[in-house]
Amino acid sequence: MFAGFDFDVIERSLPYLFREGMVFTVTLTALAMTGGIVFGTALAMMRLATSAALAPLVWLAGAYVNLMRALPLVLVIFWFYFLVPWIGGWLIGARQTIQVGAFWSAVITFTMFEAAYYCEIMRAGIQSVSRGQQSAGYALGLNYWRTMGHVVLPQAFRNMLPVLLTQTVILFQDTSLVYVISATDFLGAAAKVANRDHRLVEMYLFAALVYLVVSYVASRYVGRLQARLAVIR
Amino acid sequence: MISIRGLSKWYGAFQVLADCSTEVAKGEVVVVCGPSGSGKSTLIKCVNGLEPFEKGEILVDGISVGSPKTDLPKLRSRVGMVFQHFELFPHMTVTQNLTLAQVKVLGRTPAAAHEKAMALLDRVGLRAHADKFPGNLSGGQQQRVAIARALCMDPIAMLFDEPTSALDPEMINEVLDVMVELAQEGMTMMVVTHEMGFARRVAHRVIFMDEGKIVEDAPKEEFFGTPRSERAQQFLAKILHH
Repeated sequence: MFAGFDFDVIERSLPYLFREGMVFTVTLTALAMTGGIVFGTALAMMRLATSAALAPLVWLAGAYVNLMRALPLVLVIFWFYFLVPWIGGWLIGARQTIQVGAFWSAVITFTMFEAAYYCEIMRAGIQSVSRGQQSAGYALGLNYWRTMGHVVLPQAFRNMLPVLLTQTVILFQDTSLVYVISATDFLGAAAKVANRDHRLVEMYLFAALVYLVVSYVASRYVGRLQARLAVIR
Repeated sequence: MISIRGLSKWYGAFQVLADCSTEVAKGEVVVVCGPSGSGKSTLIKCVNGLEPFEKGEILVDGISVGSPKTDLPKLRSRVGMVFQHFELFPHMTVTQNLTLAQVKVLGRTPAAAHEKAMALLDRVGLRAHADKFPGNLSGGQQQRVAIARALCMDPIAMLFDEPTSALDPEMINEVLDVMVELAQEGMTMMVVTHEMGFARRVAHRVIFMDEGKIVEDAPKEEFFGTPRSERAQQFLAKILHH
């Protein structure tokens, strides 16, 4: 069945695929995950604020999350690619737009976009920690930030770890959408080789296999990590 | 030490506390009882500001709990609280539970905090469990750890919110023993409980609440001997004749 195929093309292009493509994909995933979880947790804390004085923050965070979740990722990547240089320039008060490469544009986009999803996960996580835990923190004299930092968030994080990492696996797959701004991630690199050598089936099969293996290994790792970090109740 | 004056609180249109006033002197042990939904837990949670209130005033050691100028975390660090469901932090060991606030709030060194924690674990008889997680302890042990955690802060008063209600019957006494000892040492205590045996042994005064009001506030002998209100008589008859 594979008689007409040439799988050597894979071996020949391996260094390029991994050194260029996979490094881009993994770095982008790692940075966007870290930034997304930090920013997402901040958004979740804003959305859960109860004080009347913070009502505008609650609204703002809610609007942001709903907007991001209502837009297709490709569109967001596209818009951010054109907008980030303008916004950056405006932020530092420069007269011209600032230069942002495709990589950093992608990092910012994915961080902002994924934060909306991580926010909803962390919001559920924070709500999964009983109010009594927060009261106990307060009763010991811990203020809001310390109660969150030492009592609520560590538990929220543990409770939500499987979902957070599942979201990260999705992010890992979604990074392939950077093709719209001509950045070369793993899939982009595979596509380039495929088109150059006219070996589309071989390269796309190989790319699919690599995504499958990485995602599968990651999910297995999630299970093991979860068992190790689980809170004894 | 604790004075509550004209305290009223509403959940929306529903009034949970209606014009409650009482005093707890230094070294005094006051038991708060009453049917469920009478507002006794809410009352005790107002004392350290865990529940906000709309009307009235609470002074703890002369500091107004309701005032927006009050440094609530600082005030709370001086008032110990024990919860019905223990509320130990499940992701930390017993020792970490006991040292966290000592280090973060009181600014003690980890070594000093650890020493204090060990001394208090000794006192509640749980030193051997110092490195365990709360989930590996029985309910009674968890509640004793929770009491030790509160005592680590060297509180000027202790609040107990139904500390034995979530316990299996055979574990109630180990917790009450710790509380009795504490009372006998002269700790100022406000205890919401249905344990009338505990009230008889160590309480100085008993407060009886019903429908958000303090119906009876009397010395223990008077409360158990000749309760004035009919509501308190009914309540006592129900919980004592079993």
